[in-house]
Amino acid sequence: MDFYSKPGEYDAINYVPHTESHGTKELWRVFLILLGITILDFGIYFAMGPSGLRNVIFIFFGLVKAYFIVGAFMHMKNEKIALALIILVPVIFIIGLVMGLLYEGNALTMVK
Amino acid sequence: MANHSTEASYEQQPVWAGGRSPFNVSYGKLMMWLLLLSDAFTFSSLLVQYGAQRFSNVQSPVTTLWPEPAAIFNHFPFLHGLHLPLLFVSVMTFILIFSSVTMVLAVEAGHRKSKKEVVKYMVYTVLGGAAFLGCQAWEWSVFIHEGARLDGNTFGITAEGAAKFKTLHFGDHFEWESAWRTNGPVPFAALFFIVTGFHGFHVFTGVVANIVITIMAARGVFERRGHYEMIEKTGLYWHFVDLVWVFVFTFFYLI
Repeated sequence: MDFYSKPGEYDAINYVPHTESHGTKELWRVFLILLGITILDFGIYFAMGPSGLRNVIFIFFGLVKAYFIVGAFMHMKNEKIALALIILVPVIFIIGLVMGLLYEGNALTMVK
Repeated sequence: MANHSTEASYEQQPVWAGGRSPFNVSYGKLMMWLLLLSDAFTFSSLLVQYGAQRFSNVQSPVTTLWPEPAAIFNHFPFLHGLHLPLLFVSVMTFILIFSSVTMVLAVEAGHRKSKKEVVKYMVYTVLGGAAFLGCQAWEWSVFIHEGARLDGNTFGITAEGAAKFKTLHFGDHFEWESAWRTNGPVPFAALFFIVTGFHGFHVFTGVVANIVITIMAARGVFERRGHYEMIEKTGLYWHFVDLVWVFVFTFFYLI
């Protein structure tokens, strides 16, 4: 590292931004939300019979939980928008994969 | 380049002109994000494959071919012989979410440079991860004991079994009878072992990393370094493991 940076100059390898605590209130709130959704999952599982709608609800709840985990626990909300975009935009490929297999997956039932 | 010895002159630098971090994160944290992104692709490939296999096996003229998760993952430690679907895995989910919370509390304590609190919350996180792994080991051993194999599937449910499961309530006495089970789609157990195993391996490496940084924090390595950024990086990984579990839980147990 000494080879690359002089004192007082920006050091790309060892640079660490200054961070501050935002308190723990928000974190406990997110924990209660995640806990609540998991309990709701449990309740809906027994309240509703197996159906496509129930699956959609479960996947929607999964995405809501993902939003809170990534946004609050992983501090994505506090990151620069450029960083958020380079992580979130490639998720399009996952959506493409799901779409592709939902469409092509029909062929799997045909060969059986 | 201008002299940016002070924070103010650093902030005035143009973002993409060099000489500053455009994302305002450290190198290691950016790389951790990119690792997690590629890992997200791996896990989604596995889960999409599971979905494709599952929904191509959904119906037959007799009954549902794909094994019913509620009929298989219905055990709870010390409550032998009772039909308790989803309960144990919900406890596992709670353990993992809670260890995620203690992790983020350790990160928060790190921002305040409170070494004692960081170590305390990191120990809780390690314990949570270890508890989760223990639960998973128990789940696997019960599943294998019940007849799960990589090269076959005896969890297909017959019409008789399906009728029985319709009348079964939460907490009822339950024991398999051979007339209820038949051969089902082969990849069922293999997919379960691969996906939960791959996730469990992530939990295991996460626990190892957490143990390492707990020891480092306790020995004052981060104190001397002047910042607790390593906790944040490992924390990102740990939250990702939690995030993946949300979807494993959704696809393997709920749907």
